[in-house]
Amino acid sequence: MKIKHRSWSDRIYVTFAYTVLILLCVSIIVPMMQVLTVSVSPVEVINSYGFHLFPTKFDFSGYQEVFRKSIIWTAYGNTIIRTVLGTALTVILTFMGAYPLSKKSLPHRPFWTALIVFTMFFSGGLIPSYMLIKNLGLMNSVWALVLPGVVSVFLLLIVRNFIAALPESLEESAKIDGAGELYILWKIIMPLSMPILATVSLYSAVGHWNAWFDSMLYIQDEHKQVLQLILRRIVIDGTLDPSAGGSTDLIDRPVNGESMKMATLVVSILPIVCVYPFLQKYFVKGTMLGSVKG
Amino acid sequence: MGKVTFGKKWTGLAVLALLAGTLSACGGEDSAKSGQTSDPSQPVTLDWLAYNSYAQPDPDSEIVKMVEKKFNAKFNIWYVDAQQRNDQLNVKFAAGEMPDVLQVHEQIPKYVANGILAEISEEDIRKYAPTYASVIDDYGPALWNTVKYEGKIYGLPAINLSGAYPQSLIWRQDWLDKVGINKIPETLDEFENALTKFRSDDPDENGKKDTYGMSDYALRYIMGAYGMPADGANYVLKDGKIQFAAVQPEMKEALALLNDWYNKGLIDPEFITGENTGGYWADSQAFYNNRIGLTGNGMFYHWRNEKFGDSDLGGGQYQNFKKAQPDGEIAFGVPPVGPKGQSGGPQWGVNSVPLGITPKAAKDPRKVQTILAMLETSFTDYDYYINVYRGKEGVDWKKLEDGSIVAIEDPNDNNASFKRGAQVFNMMENPEFGKKASERLYKFGDSVKTKGYPPVIVPAVDSLSQYSGNLTKLQQETYTKIIIGEQPVDAFDTFVKTFMDNGGSEVEKDVNEAYQQMTGQ
Repeated sequence: MKIKHRSWSDRIYVTFAYTVLILLCVSIIVPMMQVLTVSVSPVEVINSYGFHLFPTKFDFSGYQEVFRKSIIWTAYGNTIIRTVLGTALTVILTFMGAYPLSKKSLPHRPFWTALIVFTMFFSGGLIPSYMLIKNLGLMNSVWALVLPGVVSVFLLLIVRNFIAALPESLEESAKIDGAGELYILWKIIMPLSMPILATVSLYSAVGHWNAWFDSMLYIQDEHKQVLQLILRRIVIDGTLDPSAGGSTDLIDRPVNGESMKMATLVVSILPIVCVYPFLQKYFVKGTMLGSVKG
Repeated sequence: MGKVTFGKKWTGLAVLALLAGTLSACGGEDSAKSGQTSDPSQPVTLDWLAYNSYAQPDPDSEIVKMVEKKFNAKFNIWYVDAQQRNDQLNVKFAAGEMPDVLQVHEQIPKYVANGILAEISEEDIRKYAPTYASVIDDYGPALWNTVKYEGKIYGLPAINLSGAYPQSLIWRQDWLDKVGINKIPETLDEFENALTKFRSDDPDENGKKDTYGMSDYALRYIMGAYGMPADGANYVLKDGKIQFAAVQPEMKEALALLNDWYNKGLIDPEFITGENTGGYWADSQAFYNNRIGLTGNGMFYHWRNEKFGDSDLGGGQYQNFKKAQPDGEIAFGVPPVGPKGQSGGPQWGVNSVPLGITPKAAKDPRKVQTILAMLETSFTDYDYYINVYRGKEGVDWKKLEDGSIVAIEDPNDNNASFKRGAQVFNMMENPEFGKKASERLYKFGDSVKTKGYPPVIVPAVDSLSQYSGNLTKLQQETYTKIIIGEQPVDAFDTFVKTFMDNGGSEVEKDVNEAYQQMTGQ
């Protein structure tokens, strides 16, 4: 794209756009820098006034504390298991569900679609869901975190629309060449659907990585809880005045320091920060595809 | 469209049917369980939530095994996230699950109405836990009133020992020295004098006029000089009637003074956002950073500046202060005495989170007896209490020469003691044993103890939970505006009217009725 002649309005537009984008970037980067700096600073620096964007003194005791806390690593493992398992199941089931729904030849197709869409608008609510999970015997297991949201209607519809938009002639020519239904699904539809499946897996993975409420509700065993819940507990610890909650303050209860809290934050977001830039292009592409053609 | 409505109807019915099925299934299970008379030779099973649940205790830990053996019981220890307790419990209760015994963090009338709490007869308490009952009697018969609803006891009141101590007012001793004040200020005039000098005499010696006297934490002590610290929708007992502290005429006088102080620059303009800018609630960054010379939200153990031995660094907030200002010194102050001779700081009060038993436990007398026997043992057997509260000697704590007990911090995990089962079965803090175990600390606390205004013990009323949010907001906004001069001091009269009209009168009426019912007048 070459723009040789820029009119005044173009320049104003570009200046404006860049200003907004730079401000947006700053608003994202500054808190990150603050978190990083606090995580490596001693307490006297943390308690001093002003922004802490660049470390002035180093103190890695926060990280030392985090690395010694075994519960963080257990929780890390649980989150990884849940993310991998949940994402794999979501991708498989969403794809397998979307494919038949995209076929006009499916008998009673509007009925099946309506049935699925219905669940998008009406859900049982918190307590019935809890009772369902409990009576299914899923409490306190990773399945309680994976199964309830395994197929999202929204993602299912995006994938369905994507598959429906693939040229039918591809399938016909494959059939003429003697391919069976499963072969078509596996060798033709699946490779063509890669961008949308990448989107689905990214949505699902980020969702699983960030989820904590279901873990709080369904998991009673601390060693099975996910990272975000443990993280949340560590970060909130000690910030609330006990008198406000009507509870008592224990004189000897050790409280997590600020640098330790921020170090936990850094440790827990690091993997997703590392992975995100490489997946982001699929994210943007896939969402666009789904929305434009839906 | 027609199809969808049709589907909706049927699905709705199906969901209802399912729901009814699960509900009845739950009910059935419960009644079947409780119908069994427990065999006295078999251990009694207790679903246990009578602890703080900061971490999940190991069910096979020594302490759990010891208690199980001692009381011939089997514990199924519930673990709920301490910060999300009520959210999590509400779902469980709605689904028909409940423990046998729990800490009651909700309002008692609400739990009673929902069938979560069962009555505990006073006869049983006095019979099976006589020492406990007499300790509560000693601390104040009013404590029993906190767990009563319609004249019946629905909980076991608990005592928070540190709540008997008011919060500590802390001066910058080195600043007082620099401005030539050699006596801790005691009256409002002396306070004003000291704060004025903090503002004008450059106590931090950086050549700039960037210091103030105080910020938001000390405000309540100034109000205390006028008879009560107004803080949101808190009450005061006046002429035998419960009233809101925020609307008392004395508060108008306090606000007039504070407005004057604000105009003279004695109050940090940033008091609006607070002197704590993050981190642990008792921290005051304004105080650490040479901005103000008077603070006061922490307890004596946060600010303890008397060192116990060479390796001891003092209280947590004192340590933070010293790290920020290595040459600084602090002094414990006293709340200022007002024009009518009144004074006092804010205080939590000894009333702590009570324990309650559920109908599930109440059906089985053995369960109730076991629970009460455990409580009684916590109040009679010091070694048992220390064992279940603090853990094992040499592992969780060590004894000092004077008999004080100090925790051994596990470098790997600051919740290690909780996991080994400490603080699960002590049920509540035992004030006498607690003092004995931390003798030095409470001795220090007694040496700096000042006058305080503990909260008025009244029954919870529904209208308060309905209006308290708005009333608190109104109080805070108006007080702030009057102090900074955005509204004249006379706006207080309009505020009183707005406050009372928007729920204040209704709550006052309800709470006084409930109060009279509670005290039996």
